[in-house]
Amino acid sequence: MPAQLAPSALRRSFRAPQGRADIRRTLLGLFFLSPAIVLIATFTITPFAQAILLSFQSWDGVSPDTPFVGWANYESVFKNEAFWASMQNVAAFAVVGFFVGNGVAITMAVAVNNVIRGKTFFRTVFYLPGVLSVVVVGLIFTSLFSPQSGTLNRLLDIAGLGTLQQNWLGDPAMALPSVIAVFIWFHWGFGFLLFLAGLQDIPPELYEAADLDGARTWAKFRYITWPQLAPVTTIVSLLTLLAALQVFGTVQVLTNGGPGYHTMVPTLQIYSEAFTNHEYGNAAAMSVVFGGALVLLSLVQLTVSARRSRA
Amino acid sequence: MTVRSTELADHRNHIPIDAPSGDQVPVRRRRIRADRIGLYGLLVVAALLALFPLLWMVSGSLQSLDELLAGKSLLPLNPKWGNYVTAWVQGDLGMYLTNSITYTLGAVAGILVASSMAGYALARLDFWGKGIFTFIILAVMIIPAPAMFLAQYRLLTDLGLTNSRLGYVLILITSGIPMGTLIMRSFFASQPKDLEEAAALDGASAVRIFASVILPLAKPGLAAVAVIQGLAAWNEYLMALVLFDDNSLMPIQRGLTSFDSAETPQQQILLAATAISIVPVIVFYLLAQRHIVKGIGAGAIK
Repeated sequence: MPAQLAPSALRRSFRAPQGRADIRRTLLGLFFLSPAIVLIATFTITPFAQAILLSFQSWDGVSPDTPFVGWANYESVFKNEAFWASMQNVAAFAVVGFFVGNGVAITMAVAVNNVIRGKTFFRTVFYLPGVLSVVVVGLIFTSLFSPQSGTLNRLLDIAGLGTLQQNWLGDPAMALPSVIAVFIWFHWGFGFLLFLAGLQDIPPELYEAADLDGARTWAKFRYITWPQLAPVTTIVSLLTLLAALQVFGTVQVLTNGGPGYHTMVPTLQIYSEAFTNHEYGNAAAMSVVFGGALVLLSLVQLTVSARRSRA
Repeated sequence: MTVRSTELADHRNHIPIDAPSGDQVPVRRRRIRADRIGLYGLLVVAALLALFPLLWMVSGSLQSLDELLAGKSLLPLNPKWGNYVTAWVQGDLGMYLTNSITYTLGAVAGILVASSMAGYALARLDFWGKGIFTFIILAVMIIPAPAMFLAQYRLLTDLGLTNSRLGYVLILITSGIPMGTLIMRSFFASQPKDLEEAAALDGASAVRIFASVILPLAKPGLAAVAVIQGLAAWNEYLMALVLFDDNSLMPIQRGLTSFDSAETPQQQILLAATAISIVPVIVFYLLAQRHIVKGIGAGAIK
C-alpha cells in the first residue's frame, strides 16, 4: 500500500510546477481529483481532526458550548472499567475470530478448489451470509438462540443433548462465545473468497511436479500451497483482524453489550457513551485511544509485510 | 475453458479399470475415492451450516405464532403466506426499501464519478502533487470507523445535515472513494494507451478523451467498483443509526430494528419482514456474483 509509492513520484510531486504547460497539466490533474479530494477533506480529514479536538472538550451533544477540559476526558476513560472490559472482549473477538474464521476459510477454500463438480455452488453458498446486513443476521440468530422457543435448544433436546441447552445470549459465560460464533458464521466467507482466488492462481505445474516426486497431500500443502498463498494470507490477516476489532452491529443487535458488560466492545462503548450517556467528550477520547491503536496496528502490519515482500 | 479442462480431468479419473494392471492402482484409486467422499461430506456440512439460519427464517416466517413457539416442526405444515402481506404493511417495508434503493444508487453513482476521475488522474496524468494525493487517498483508508463516526455526526450536526438524505449519501460516497479510486487506478494502469494518444493527436481535450474514449472502455472496472460499493452502501448500519431519527428517512436496516423494538410484532411477522428485506440483496448477489467475487478480490489485493 503506502509502500507502493515510488520515491521518484514523491520527489516529482514536491517540485513546484514550472512553466505554462506544467501549470496547465497540474490544473487538469487537480480538476480530475477534485471531487474525491473535496469529499475526503470535508468528511474524513476534518472530522478526524475534530475528533481529536473534541476529546479535549466537554459536549452534551446539543448545546453550542464546548468548553475545553484538558486531559479530563482521558483520565475518566482510563478509569472507566467498562471501556477496559470492552477492550478485553474485543481482543478475544479478534483472536478467536482470526484463528477460527481464517482456519475455516482456508480449509474450505482448499476443499472447494479440489472438487470438480459444484465449485460455483459451494462458493456461492459460502459467501452468501456475507452479503446480508448485520440487522438481518442479528434478528435471525436472536430467534434461533432464544432460550425458551429457540430452535437451537430444541434441536439439542431432540438430539438427546438436552444438557447442553443454554441461555445462549443471556448467560454471562455463554454470551461472548455465542456472539463470536455468529460473527464467524457471518464473515468467514470473505477470507474464503480471497484464499480461493489465491489458490486458483497457483500454477498447476507445481503440483504436477510434486506428484511426480510422490509428494503426499500434507507435503503439497506445506511446501507448495502455503508459501504460494503467503501474499493473500498477509492481506486477509490484516483485513479480518481489523474487521473483528471494529465489530459493532453484530453485538449491538444481538446483546447490546450485555449481559452486564460481558459482550461490550469498544465501538459500541463509544456509541453508547455518546448517544446514551451524552458524554461526547469521553466518547471522543475513547475513539482517539482505540482508533489510534487500530491505526498503529495497521501501520505495523503494513510495514512488516512490505519489508517481507521486498526481502 | 477451465470448465472444459476440469471435465476432462474428471472423466480421466473415472475410467473404470476392471482388470487391475498393477498392485498399486486399485489401492490408490480407492484412497482417492474415499478422499473425495470425505471432501464432499465436509463441503455439504459447511453448506448446510451456512444455509440453515436462512432456511429456518423462511420456514419460521410461514408458520403461525403457535406453531413457531411450540416448535413441533422445522417445516411449515400449512404455509401462511399472509404473514408476508402483514409484514409488508405493518412494517412499512415499501418505504424503507425505497429509501435503501435511493441511498445505494446515489452512493454508487457518486463513487463511480469521483473514483473514476481520481483513478484516471493518478494512473495516467502527470502533475504536481500527484504523490501527495496518492498518499492521502491511501492513508485515509486506514482511519477506522470507530475513530470517525462520532466526529462525522458532529460535523453533520454543524452543517445541518443530520436527518438528511443528502448528508447520509455524502458520507456513503466519501467512505467508498478510497477503495474505488485504487481499483480504478490499477484498472486504468493496465489498459493500453493507444486510443488516448490517437484521440489526443486528433486534438481532443483531456476531459473529452476521458468521457468518450476512456470511460466506455472502463466498464469492467466500473462494474467491480459498483457491485462492491453497492453492497457496502446497502448494508451500512452505523451511520444510519447515528444520523436518522426520522423513520420516513431510514434505510431498511433501521426500519427492521424499529419494527422490532417499537411495535413488538409477532415473531413470525418479524421473520417475514426480515425475509422480504433480503430479497433485493440476494437477487443482486446471484445475478452479479462474478463481479462481486472479482470486486472483492480487486478491492482487497490492489
